[in-house]
Amino acid sequence: MKKRIMKINLSAFIVPVMSVIIALLIASVVILLIGKNPLIAYYEMLKGAFGSSQDFINTIVKTTPLILTGLAVGFGFRAGVFNIGAEGQMSMGALFATIAGMNLGGFPPYIAIPITILSGMLMGALWASIAGFLKARTGAHEVITTIMLNWISYYLGNYMVAGPLSVGSGTPKSPEIAASAKLPVIIKSQSIELTPGIFIAILMAIVIYVLLEKTSTGYEIKAVGFNPYAAEYGGISIAKNVVLAMAISGALAGLAGALEVMGLHYRYLGTLTSGKGFDGISISLIGQNHPIGIIFAALLIGSLRTGSNAMQFAGIPKHIVMIIQGIVIFLVAADRIVKTILTYRKKHKAGVEK
Amino acid sequence: MKRFLVFLVLILTFVVSAYAFKVIMVTDTGGLGDKSFNDGTWAGIQMAVEEFGLEANVIQSYEQADYIPNLTKAAQEADVVFAVGFMMTDALFKVAPQFPGTYFVGIDITPPEGSEYPNVMTFTFKENEAAFLVGYVAAAMTKSNIVGFIGGIPIPPVERFRYGFEAGVKTYSELHDKDVQILKGYTMVFDDPKKGKDLAMSQFAEGADIIFHASGACGNGVIEAAKEKFTALAGTSDLAGLIDYYWKNGTGLFAMGVDADQDYLAPGAVLASAMKRVDMAAYYGVRDAFEGTFEGGMKVLGLKEKGVGISPMKYTKGLVPNSVIAELYYIINLVNEGILSIPITQEELDSFSVPEIEFPF
Repeated sequence: MKKRIMKINLSAFIVPVMSVIIALLIASVVILLIGKNPLIAYYEMLKGAFGSSQDFINTIVKTTPLILTGLAVGFGFRAGVFNIGAEGQMSMGALFATIAGMNLGGFPPYIAIPITILSGMLMGALWASIAGFLKARTGAHEVITTIMLNWISYYLGNYMVAGPLSVGSGTPKSPEIAASAKLPVIIKSQSIELTPGIFIAILMAIVIYVLLEKTSTGYEIKAVGFNPYAAEYGGISIAKNVVLAMAISGALAGLAGALEVMGLHYRYLGTLTSGKGFDGISISLIGQNHPIGIIFAALLIGSLRTGSNAMQFAGIPKHIVMIIQGIVIFLVAADRIVKTILTYRKKHKAGVEK
Repeated sequence: MKRFLVFLVLILTFVVSAYAFKVIMVTDTGGLGDKSFNDGTWAGIQMAVEEFGLEANVIQSYEQADYIPNLTKAAQEADVVFAVGFMMTDALFKVAPQFPGTYFVGIDITPPEGSEYPNVMTFTFKENEAAFLVGYVAAAMTKSNIVGFIGGIPIPPVERFRYGFEAGVKTYSELHDKDVQILKGYTMVFDDPKKGKDLAMSQFAEGADIIFHASGACGNGVIEAAKEKFTALAGTSDLAGLIDYYWKNGTGLFAMGVDADQDYLAPGAVLASAMKRVDMAAYYGVRDAFEGTFEGGMKVLGLKEKGVGISPMKYTKGLVPNSVIAELYYIINLVNEGILSIPITQEELDSFSVPEIEFPF
């Protein structure tokens, strides 16, 4: 029995890793086709993501929100809801964290920071539970409703920075949040800054892991995800758990937005989310919906992104990284392909040995 | 001896490449291929590169959070760093003070108050003056008496285009007793041609026959919409066919381009473009840095400095009556001489009254 569990864990780990390797191989063909050397490209990418302390900070900064949106989507998957709305929930979280952060100037950091974080999470949770409520009450599919809510939050955010919250000239933006609501900078190198946001993100991954695996609430949420009717037969309320699952998922996405405001931009910008909510979908796929796997998947995508910026300095277009990311997701989603390759090789080897 | 020569050449190439004057341009999220702003700057850099034998590279940004890391990395590697686009203002003025030995050129960037550095030169443009000219032409050419304006995000440069456009339309209308109405819309992004196209289609449906856009890469969609509609109307997409149709029926459907000369994107269906000579600005920036005459501060380029203008209307000049062209040149003169001032804020636009212009012809 124990051996079986080990095996499952191993394959959950091998499929994403193999997918990345295959994706790098396929992308290197593309790089060759545009007349560049793939080895140099990957070297530059690696150097760009981890080569210096500044690069490393950039990678961590990029990874932080991705862990959280990955968790948001992954948690939803475990509960049987497909939350495509992480983008909108993140945006709403950022917006309300900004509004809270702007007005907390009179409070010391140990009050201002938690309140700002909580308002971001709360707004994300509220925004997502609209979709959860609609699903529980009317059966409206959360894929549709969360997409709709994405657009509402998108235009609401744009309206806020162009209208009521607008300040100064330049990019449409809100005023800065109060100094006491900013996350403290722990490492600063020129204009590149690292805040403890990453620790909050990792902590959340652990919290979600414990919640899912060690508590009865998590058990109920998973049960509804596996088989809602069986769960209901067993005395678990579908409606309650769907709303709860969406709320927790949204709170995670909202936290991603709040941390972006408190640790990076210090204000709300209309374009602040820039697809990170959608990246959460691929990250939870690559991380096999496992909170700890999601941390590594987010690090993968975060370092690819950071590395791709540096890759451009060697004259290689950043879009190569989109190709790599696309192939990885394709292979992880169609994990049978990778598994077939692996088992074929095993069989083949066994045959030779005989 | 041979080995020595090879060695010498190697050393020489190393020294040359290490000391080569290097320019790196960091784009905003719009990126290269917008056929207007980023492309224009890049063209200007290329001009300087060829003239002075420099090395240049372009780095595109995915998202707002990339601006600071990209500018920092560029500053570590290059002698001149370009920050292109309004959205990069904050990032530029955060990074530039950290690298006093590197020149920074900001295109379309206004320094925030109190941040003037000797190593940062920024260029802005009197968009209102360029847009005034195309507004004037649009009002002269419209047959439905409805023209459209499509902006990206209503940030100051986009709004300056709108003020000038509205003033231009108003000026022609009053001078020639025409009642021209303006439809206005915003795509709220700069990088989604689909949004530009949708908005243009809806303005055409509301009766506009000329649409001016100031919406970055969204404008590619606006131009596509004009091309599609005009082609459907005329039953042909080639330039001669479109012009024939216009002369036969006296109507057409047009887009108006922005930033660069976009007339070529759809010959015949783009009536004119309001040009910001970002290429000239970029060229000046590199040249000054290379020749050691670099001066920090903001430069504002207008009609007078030839920093903005209307495109030469390579394909459509035959459609525009000569009298309109003559009036246009007369107006450019009035602006250059400071007799006519074109509104640059909403307040100025609201209080703008058309001056008594007596054309000497």
